[in-house]
Amino acid sequence: MSDVPSRLRVAVAASDATVRSRLAALVARSGHEVVELTAAPEAILTDDTTDEMASAPVVAVGPGDGNPAGRLPADATLQQIDAAMRAVAAGLTVRGPSPQDGNFGPMVEEAWPVLTPREIEVLEALRDGLSNKAAARRLGISPHTVKFHVEALFKKLGATSRTEAVAKGLKRQIVEI
Amino acid sequence: MPEAARDPLIGLSDALVERTKRAQASVARIEVEGRPICSGTLWRKDVVVAAEQGFAHVETAKVVLGDGSRLAAQIVGRDPGTNVLALKLDGAEEATPLATAEPRLGALVLGFGADGDGGISVRLGVIHSVGPAWYSRAGGRIDRRIVVHMRMSGREAGGPVHDAGGGLLGMSTLGPRRRVLVIPASTVESVLEPLLSKGRVERGWLGLALQPVLLPEAMQSDAGQSRGLMIMGVAKDGPAVKAGVLTGDILVAIAGEGVGRPALVAQQLGPESIGQPVDLRLLRGGKVLSLPAIVAGRPSG
Repeated sequence: MSDVPSRLRVAVAASDATVRSRLAALVARSGHEVVELTAAPEAILTDDTTDEMASAPVVAVGPGDGNPAGRLPADATLQQIDAAMRAVAAGLTVRGPSPQDGNFGPMVEEAWPVLTPREIEVLEALRDGLSNKAAARRLGISPHTVKFHVEALFKKLGATSRTEAVAKGLKRQIVEI
Repeated sequence: MPEAARDPLIGLSDALVERTKRAQASVARIEVEGRPICSGTLWRKDVVVAAEQGFAHVETAKVVLGDGSRLAAQIVGRDPGTNVLALKLDGAEEATPLATAEPRLGALVLGFGADGDGGISVRLGVIHSVGPAWYSRAGGRIDRRIVVHMRMSGREAGGPVHDAGGGLLGMSTLGPRRRVLVIPASTVESVLEPLLSKGRVERGWLGLALQPVLLPEAMQSDAGQSRGLMIMGVAKDGPAVKAGVLTGDILVAIAGEGVGRPALVAQQLGPESIGQPVDLRLLRGGKVLSLPAIVAGRPSG
């Protein structure tokens, strides 16, 4: 993995000169080199309104009908654009989340394990990065009892690490009503 | 071609083509400046419905109907509870009302959406499961749980889903893990009236953030149930705060009805509950207490 270039050669393509210079600025701010389309770029950043023949994988920012290697929403962050350019240069396909992507669903997943109030408190302590000893101090119980609850949580949530237990246990269970 | 007519595969294919032609008139393509296009369903002469989750902070749109007509549209109402968005069209022609159909487990269905080039796209699937009424995270009641086994892109969500007879089952929606759900036609109908007249669907609200919990054994007999809803937060100036509810309390019953699941609370908070007094039964510090509260209307946004 030592020969992964930290700096890519990126061309920008847009029919509008203002857009083109904005895209070029984004490339420069991500630490990459802006090159001409004909100068063998490793990735092309575009607003998808031009139809130049692509000589390298394309990252399109904003909506469009084509099927480029990378497609990001118009409000993508610099970090996302940088990650997308690196990903397409490495031969991957990148898609930003669609506004239709699934936050519409049932209140609580039916098969979700139900925790006791104490288990939830212990889980919150794990989320805050506390050790068993520190969690015991916060909750006013013995470290042994905390250990007991942590083991119960691992079993209920099918988790093998504290991070996994937190990710599974504190996800999407709260309902506002 | 009598030979072809007897071939069941050609017969099926021809029928799908025929159904798609008939459905075309009710599939709407919705364009919003600077966003990917979305699909909608022409529900009435001048009303298109779409999936609300794709239209945050949008007020106007352009709608292209199946016959190619291009109309300006106003977003007149939205209900995150059922994921229904209502668009009113300027100057729409007469549309044939859609005959609705009931979902049958295992039945073939067609899902329609707008494609990128002004036409429509078609998906074929089966009804994967049909369940009872359910409550969405935003508190809306959906009459049936209809899951359809088909792939669907975000662009196609909001379009109509038809059964094999061409009857309208409802509007497609992408649920968790991109599973395709159908918002039943009856649910769309029931929210459409308030959406068109008031712009929203009123629901009761207590101002509580709840999480289902397993009651410690010592409390189970006091509460008369094994589960409760722990109060993880209370909305400032909400009905629960005014009633004296505190974070950390465990809600076990509303108006005498046990609530071990959030859906049971949602059931108690229909539009008719607004302004009504309810008794909240809570566990606090191992003791049972009752607090009277007045249900308010859910604030918008």
